Amino acid sequence: MATTKLLDIPPQPYTGEKARLTRAYDYLILVLALFLFIGAFHLHVALTVGDWDFWLDWKDRQWWPLVTPLMMITFPAAVQAVLWTNFRLPLGATLCVSCLLIGTWITRIFAYHYWNYFPINMVLPATMMPSALVLDVILMLSNSLTVTSIFGGMSFALLFYPSNWPIFGLFHMPVEYGNAQLTLADVFGFQYIRAGMPEYLRIIERGTLRTYGQYATPLSAFCSALLCTLMYPLWWYLGTWFATIRYVKTI
Amino acid sequence: MFIHIKSYVASIFMALVFLSVAPNNAYAHGEKALEPFIRMRTIQWYDVQWSQESLKVNDEVVVTGKFHVAEDWPRSVPKPDAAYLNVAIPGPVLIRTERYLNGQPWVSSAALKLGGDYDFKIVLKARLPGRYHIHPFFNLQDAGAVMGPGHWVEVTGDAATFTNSVKTISGETVDMETYGLVNGVSWHVLWIVLGTAWLLWWVRRPLFIPRFKMLKSGNEDALITPLDKTIAKGILVVVPLFVFGAYAMTDSQHPNAIPLQAALDQIEPLPPTVNNGAVNVKMIRTEYRVPVRTMNMVAQIHNYSDQPIRIGEFASANLRFINPSLDQPGKNEEDTLVAAKGLVIDDDKLIQPGETKTVSMAAADALWETEKLDGLFRDADSRMGGLLFLYDPSGKRYIASISTSVIPKFD
Repeated sequence: MATTKLLDIPPQPYTGEKARLTRAYDYLILVLALFLFIGAFHLHVALTVGDWDFWLDWKDRQWWPLVTPLMMITFPAAVQAVLWTNFRLPLGATLCVSCLLIGTWITRIFAYHYWNYFPINMVLPATMMPSALVLDVILMLSNSLTVTSIFGGMSFALLFYPSNWPIFGLFHMPVEYGNAQLTLADVFGFQYIRAGMPEYLRIIERGTLRTYGQYATPLSAFCSALLCTLMYPLWWYLGTWFATIRYVKTI
Repeated sequence: MFIHIKSYVASIFMALVFLSVAPNNAYAHGEKALEPFIRMRTIQWYDVQWSQESLKVNDEVVVTGKFHVAEDWPRSVPKPDAAYLNVAIPGPVLIRTERYLNGQPWVSSAALKLGGDYDFKIVLKARLPGRYHIHPFFNLQDAGAVMGPGHWVEVTGDAATFTNSVKTISGETVDMETYGLVNGVSWHVLWIVLGTAWLLWWVRRPLFIPRFKMLKSGNEDALITPLDKTIAKGILVVVPLFVFGAYAMTDSQHPNAIPLQAALDQIEPLPPTVNNGAVNVKMIRTEYRVPVRTMNMVAQIHNYSDQPIRIGEFASANLRFINPSLDQPGKNEEDTLVAAKGLVIDDDKLIQPGETKTVSMAAADALWETEKLDGLFRDADSRMGGLLFLYDPSGKRYIASISTSVIPKFD
């Protein structure tokens, strides 16, 4: 009885054939959305976050937590704008990040591992799933673009590094290698040869955050959080721009 | 029409299948793509050798060699303030376990000095069976890749037997092929399961048209139930708590974790080997005769050494033009980049100690064209460079780095 109540769905305006047809339409849109976001969001992240997400030895304390949330809050904000404004569906961020992860894992396994022979542990992707869940529920509970921009955007960025440290922390164990101290991640970069990726190309640990001592990560995360509060509404409006209800006004 | 489309689709499918299963042998690494003046006047490679050409998985091949950093570095190429000695292979089919520059272990990038002499050693461990063309090459920041000579290496054996262990400073031995994989995948699976549960929670309901209609008719409150809100509040509290809890736990498990290392290595050049004062070569005029693919060089050579010397070889951009009349070590005549009789000298006599002699040399071979160096005179910087090797009667070698502008002759 309790299970039945738990799984009860809210009322809907259609019954019978209309309900069946609208459900078929749901599935059609969902499948299309799945492939669209797998392709589009994955491409967006590959072009903007790129090497920071591809390689272990790019996941630093300064640029990785700054760039990744900032570039990954984009599609979630735009899709949330469409799904929440028109359908009150609080799943835009989770949907985008899930699609991204599907695309990313397919690429890491087939392109990086089977095609280019890199061990998968060297090309483990980061996850934004906790950030996406929190972003979705903040939008749902607040029903406010302003609140979601400020608190959702900040949470999205601030949760990124701690979410991923359990995955990548162990690759930061120090190793004595070539008469120098390296992390295991650095050793991966040295040993597993990338002809197009010389060491100096890495944009890591560069900047002036070192003036705050050895606590670069929280500062970088807060910087990202601030920028995410601005990036979120920007992409929200982009989402509303590209979505139109011109053709469905008479439904 | 339909049959045409079917055969067209089938052809594309077959092409994709062929591409995906075709042996992944690289026959070139773009070594001819870079402009000639960069290949001739930046990193001047010589004496590059491979310890073996046939090895089993887990065996090592050692690549050694020397290079001179040209004094006449092209103006349009940024100075080598950050350079990385790399290996051109099709992915990590071999791994690089050690690398040395001038005998010093070298794991990062380093600045090279113009006019500097360096020797290098790279130790590669075979990982995947196959036949690979291996080049040492330099990545030069903002300039590109300057290839050294290449060599075929055959790896046999079973890829599954490959091992690669590294010991951390705390004494833990790590299998680099699998380390952290189960942990990373587990975290991903956990979050994907939670994300999927959230998606399914919503997707199980009627979605787009019904919700849109209810929203537009003012019934949006019915779309979000109290239970939805309770679950959302739970997520809002539990997810951050769980994330920061896991973060703290990881921190306590790895208290000695350090940031990625980003230092440049500091490595000084060797005492001068090239242009070390024993021989001075001043280029007077150089012409490239296009129809006969010959570089005619006139040089004034002053012998400051105490031994008589003769010209043995001219090398540029990995091409070697050998003077056949001089018996010298390391001719390696079977190499496709060696013109075994390619260097002809008009007055091929010994240059006595203290003597200054003007010599005409002709470096002739189709290699100028096949290696795409004959495009030099169409470059914005039509100067060439290379190494001139001279020998005394005991076989001692003297090396001069030369550079000169080139005048094309179309005859």
